[in-house]
Amino acid sequence: MSFQRTVQIENRIPTASMADIAFLLLIFFMSTTIFKMEEGLPVELPRAAAAQSQKQERILHVWIDAGGDVSINDKLVSAADLGDIMKAALSVNPALVIAFNADYRTAYGTVAAVIEELKKANAVRVSFTCDPEADSGPK
Amino acid sequence: MKTLGDISNLPSMSDIAFLLLIFFLVSTMFAVEQGIPLVLPGRQSTNVTVKRSDVLEIDARANGAITLDGRPVSLRDIRPAVEKGLAQNEKLIVVLSTHPNTEYGLMVDLLDEIKLANARVISLRTLPAEG
Repeated sequence: MSFQRTVQIENRIPTASMADIAFLLLIFFMSTTIFKMEEGLPVELPRAAAAQSQKQERILHVWIDAGGDVSINDKLVSAADLGDIMKAALSVNPALVIAFNADYRTAYGTVAAVIEELKKANAVRVSFTCDPEADSGPK
Repeated sequence: MKTLGDISNLPSMSDIAFLLLIFFLVSTMFAVEQGIPLVLPGRQSTNVTVKRSDVLEIDARANGAITLDGRPVSLRDIRPAVEKGLAQNEKLIVVLSTHPNTEYGLMVDLLDEIKLANARVISLRTLPAEG
């Protein structure tokens, strides 16, 4: 009397759990991603066609809103403090680029005062942040 | 063997999930900031005397008026004028003087036009407040 062997070894990769893994990854990244909140002041940037992409890692943002408030690293600063902040930032990264995120309605005098402080602190590389040129918007 | 009641088709489910993953991976764009770069004169820089003929002076007044070497012009005229100046004189220095009460946007518009005209030496000045 012979018994038929009932257990057979299948050589297939089980793909049923693949979906679980994929969704698990999806849900993991969806729930752990924290979007960085917009720092700085609310500004409407001017538009320019000559703008070039700036390397993010070297940038120190200076925000200037339409009312003339100046903000660096989420803190409102006065022109007198700018020099010290710039010197400290430059000592960490000498190739620092100061990006002006200024509202297009800001009086130029405020921007000029910041530029003067930058010159004194020897922070010579600046960038005037702009939105890419478009037909609509402030011009 | 296919069965009629096989509604939950799991292998294609993973295809959909991976498709979504790949779609969002590819389409996610990180915000890249654009700006007009400029190098300011630092502390070490010395004042240099330049010839009057090497200077093209663009003024932005408080009321939004633009003058080019004293002549009133519109924003559209700046680029051809700077290009013409550069064609005549390679060493041309473009001096952009802005009144403190002028809108920053106008100054950036002018700087944009000057940069588009391929001017290399640009100097930023502030006009006296009462001027």
